[in-house]
Amino acid sequence: MEGIFMQITLDNLQRSYGNLHAVHGVSLSIPSNTIYGIIGKSGAGKSTLVRLISLLESPDSGEVYFDDVRVDNLTKRAMIERRRRVGMIFQNFNLFSSRNAEENIAYPMEINGIDKDAIKVRVDELLKLVGLEGRGKAPISTLSGGQMQRVAIARALACNPDILFCDEATSALDPQTTHSILSLLKEIQKKMSLTVVMITHQMEVVRDACDQVAVLNDGKVVEQGFVTDIFANPSSEVTKEFLAHLVGVDGSASSDDKMVQWSKKTGTYTLRFRGDTTDQPILSRITRDLGVEFNIRAGGVQKVGDVEIGTMIVDISGDEAIKKKAIDALKKQGVLVEEEGKA
Amino acid sequence: MSKLWMLVMTSTGQTLSMVFFSTLFSLLMGLPLGILLSITSGVEQGGIIPKPLLNNILGRIVNVLRSFPFIILMILLFPLSRILIGTSIGTAATIVPLSIAAAPFVARVIETALKEVDPGVVQAARAMGSTNWQIIRKVLIPEALPSLVSGVTLTIINLIGYSAMAGAIGGGGLGDLAIRYGYQRFRGDVMVVAVIIILVLVEIIQVIGNKISSHLLAKR
Repeated sequence: MEGIFMQITLDNLQRSYGNLHAVHGVSLSIPSNTIYGIIGKSGAGKSTLVRLISLLESPDSGEVYFDDVRVDNLTKRAMIERRRRVGMIFQNFNLFSSRNAEENIAYPMEINGIDKDAIKVRVDELLKLVGLEGRGKAPISTLSGGQMQRVAIARALACNPDILFCDEATSALDPQTTHSILSLLKEIQKKMSLTVVMITHQMEVVRDACDQVAVLNDGKVVEQGFVTDIFANPSSEVTKEFLAHLVGVDGSASSDDKMVQWSKKTGTYTLRFRGDTTDQPILSRITRDLGVEFNIRAGGVQKVGDVEIGTMIVDISGDEAIKKKAIDALKKQGVLVEEEGKA
Repeated sequence: MSKLWMLVMTSTGQTLSMVFFSTLFSLLMGLPLGILLSITSGVEQGGIIPKPLLNNILGRIVNVLRSFPFIILMILLFPLSRILIGTSIGTAATIVPLSIAAAPFVARVIETALKEVDPGVVQAARAMGSTNWQIIRKVLIPEALPSLVSGVTLTIINLIGYSAMAGAIGGGGLGDLAIRYGYQRFRGDVMVVAVIIILVLVEIIQVIGNKISSHLLAKR
């Protein structure tokens, strides 16, 4: 069963609770065999969306397709069968405390009626896959957060799913453990050709693990595309906020991601360079050509997938005409320029 | 003295059999009822098959039965005992009202224990494609087992107390002994012995219950 490609299509999903439109017309096409991120702040409708696409809840209107099969209106029995081929991991791991590690991993196979010997073989395989060989007998309470999530991943993969949903899977973990869990997920995605959907509020997770991303706000998709494009060219306010948080402009990101800050004052312009442009002396070239001066307030480069994205916060000195010329010159070089206060 | 000693032994035996059988029957009635109460409750309370109307009706029946004074309930249930056992007097006949009085208590204890199960774990089980029956049998009950054991312990202890009361209206057992010999015949020593045996029984049940419950928790 391994190697099945599964594409997910959402068509105008709506779900409200009373007056609250938790999900308000979401249409998305999630390609198979990738890691797809869905990012949003709390209250953006992420949890509802994940319950809709993981078939835990039915939408008020709209449709969910796995490949070409509509799955939101299945009969009860067919729904249960379909869920058995979808893996899911959670922020709080949601492991059974009454079962040890290997019994947790065995659960989905037990309810599927797989025989004991086959389960035992598969459990050992899975423990090895997630790097917990020999810890099968461990009670859940004796495991660390990272180990618990590994058990949860093994449990989610037990029945060879074609889709894996990660609902804030790293939000309860420290940065180092987050990193190791993300590497594991990436490795497993490749190995099993899974379609992985990661729901998160952490831009770091999107940057480090996802190929494509959709940004959710107020129950709607405000932006979607390849992670590298969106990092270099965020179009919505929400996305910019996430990125600002990530690169540490607001001083809240972890030290790895923080930009070097030369001045306490923040600048007026945010410049974003991507890929090959990060290698070129664009600023000094423009300075020489136009006679304009850049005062660099903060700057940094980070890796998004395989692409490097540079961010710089600057003031431009000179009169309006020269400023405009400078900005046009920057844009011509493929640099994205955002002026503070303007979208 | 030896005759009295025999009497104490017989009464203890009667109490034990009353408590044993009424625990058994109240569990047989209360366990399904408790599960039903828990799974039919609203989603926000962790109900996996919300059925508000059924839940409401069951809840009310349980509440009425629980608030009934036990002595009155016993008298009301005399006819039922007569139908089921053939008599309304004696140890066997007392098991009927005892079981019926304890069943709603058991139901609430079980309901509470099941509702304590982490809703996230139930959600995970559902996401993996568990049927409702699998969730009950393989998730809710095992996850709640330590609390369920504590609940059953509490039920047994309550039934020891109730059975002593039942003795007063012809059920036999240690309560009967304490009233007839200790109180009505001014045998303070018999009263003391009967009370001490009841206390010891309660203590033994409590210790065993705690042991099992903490053993279950220690494995987690």
